Amino acid sequence: MSLMRQLRRKAATILLALAVAPAHAETDAPASPPRFELSGFGTLGAVTTDDKDVWFTRYGVNFPGTKDPDFSPDTLVGVQGSLRLTPYNDITLQGLVREDGDASQDPQLTLAFFRQTLAPGLSMRLGRVRVPFFMLSDSLYVNYANPWVRPPVEVYGLNPFNDLDGIDFIYNGRLGAFDIEIHPYYGGGRIPFPQGKARLKEVFGVNLGLSRGDFSLHLGHGEGTFTLERGDTLFLAVSNILQLTGQGGVIADLSGTHGRTRFDSVGVQWDDGSWQLIGEFARRKTNRYVVSAHGWYLSLGRRFGPVMPYVVVAHQTLDEQFAEARLPPGRLAAAWNLFQVSRNNAQRSVTLGARWELAAYAAVKAEVTQARPDDDAWGSYAPRGDAQTTRIGGRTLNTFSLSLDLSF
Amino acid sequence: MIRLVRACFLLVSLLAAPCALAQIVIVAGARSPLPDLTPEQAEQFYLGRAHTLPDGSVVTLADLPTGAVRDQFYQQLTRKNANQIRAHWSRMVFTGRALPPQQAESVAQLRLWLAAQPNLIGYMPAAEADGRVRVLLRLP
Repeated sequence: MSLMRQLRRKAATILLALAVAPAHAETDAPASPPRFELSGFGTLGAVTTDDKDVWFTRYGVNFPGTKDPDFSPDTLVGVQGSLRLTPYNDITLQGLVREDGDASQDPQLTLAFFRQTLAPGLSMRLGRVRVPFFMLSDSLYVNYANPWVRPPVEVYGLNPFNDLDGIDFIYNGRLGAFDIEIHPYYGGGRIPFPQGKARLKEVFGVNLGLSRGDFSLHLGHGEGTFTLERGDTLFLAVSNILQLTGQGGVIADLSGTHGRTRFDSVGVQWDDGSWQLIGEFARRKTNRYVVSAHGWYLSLGRRFGPVMPYVVVAHQTLDEQFAEARLPPGRLAAAWNLFQVSRNNAQRSVTLGARWELAAYAAVKAEVTQARPDDDAWGSYAPRGDAQTTRIGGRTLNTFSLSLDLSF
Repeated sequence: MIRLVRACFLLVSLLAAPCALAQIVIVAGARSPLPDLTPEQAEQFYLGRAHTLPDGSVVTLADLPTGAVRDQFYQQLTRKNANQIRAHWSRMVFTGRALPPQQAESVAQLRLWLAAQPNLIGYMPAAEADGRVRVLLRLP
């Protein structure tokens, strides 16, 4: 285990220990800087599918489960502490416990930054923040803040990265009748997954937010380099096949350290207190290692007192595979096909759900999703048994999700 | 008969009066240097989108406990209901965009805080805004 990883685990553990210590309490003493704020959020979520030969999986987020119903896709707890040093700067740490793509449940340090106010409306954050590629990326795990059990995987599965270690600036101002937010950022991040690792490097991007009354618009663009070093059994088998068939050069498109990627997104939200409409389009473009794809969703909800039923339509489409090889029909071609199909998350889905405000800062959500992965894709599913014989593409799969979200 | 109807109407009006929405004011301490606020400025502060005035001075926020006054305040200022505001502030806090308002346990505690912190603003029913606080904005 690297020194950095040990340090991150240590910091996250200390933060979580602070959460259970009775040191912080509201007092009658006037709060003036330096001031410490402690807060948290959590989700207890269960997921099951009607076909028992597949798992629902959020690729890059959780590892396909071993229990049914599976608690790993959505269950998490996060604790955040902020120390206001002066009126112009503060330090924030956030620790999160959830299962990651490597089936580990080690505490993760998900926010760790120093913020300085530079001018009216302009602040700078230095350290670790969330990757803000898409409209809801930086609140991806704050499920209480989102209307659904989880943001639609057809869009949010396009970016598996969570952390951005670097610097960002957030400017809030007015543009005519609109509130405007400009958010440029620079940095890198990494994610663990079984027998491999991925890194995002030298990422630069900018988000633009416009809002007026009940309406808001998001525009986002980010690009950078990335590495993806695979070591799984299927990759090693495919690499051997490619070498044996004289196509060793293709391996450089499957795994390595010379990837380039870009993310673009457009999102809108309308919420007048009764009706809630959310829509987003997002695209991931890469030159190798992972597919290029785009996705969109449209969500419509209507509040009836504490209950909001909603419907979501979502679709992810493959734009381009990341490698090509010519293999003789038979087992070799089947292995190559499986390798590519298992890394294609294209699917379409319809979700019916409801959110119930159980209490202040507590919400229960239930939803049923009918998804159909493309013929040449696994979509957001993984086989429970033999990957060679379990066909996922082209099937209609029903997934039921139930969650309790808290913010405290 | 008409007298009886009038008496009943008066009685109903008196009983209903405590439930009627009271005007809410945004306040600072009596000796605070903060200027009067526009509704737009106050909305930006209480949505966590701004925490400084154009002259660069910092404004910090106080909230009252969960309840009717708080819900009415946010509804009138931001046109967002209680559920929308809770979701909004969860997003603002846990993405590290804003620090949450300090939550006072009562109007009395809020007055103490306002007296001690010149840059703190809060809100309360207009009837409770006495000489210890200065009104920066009256909500409609």
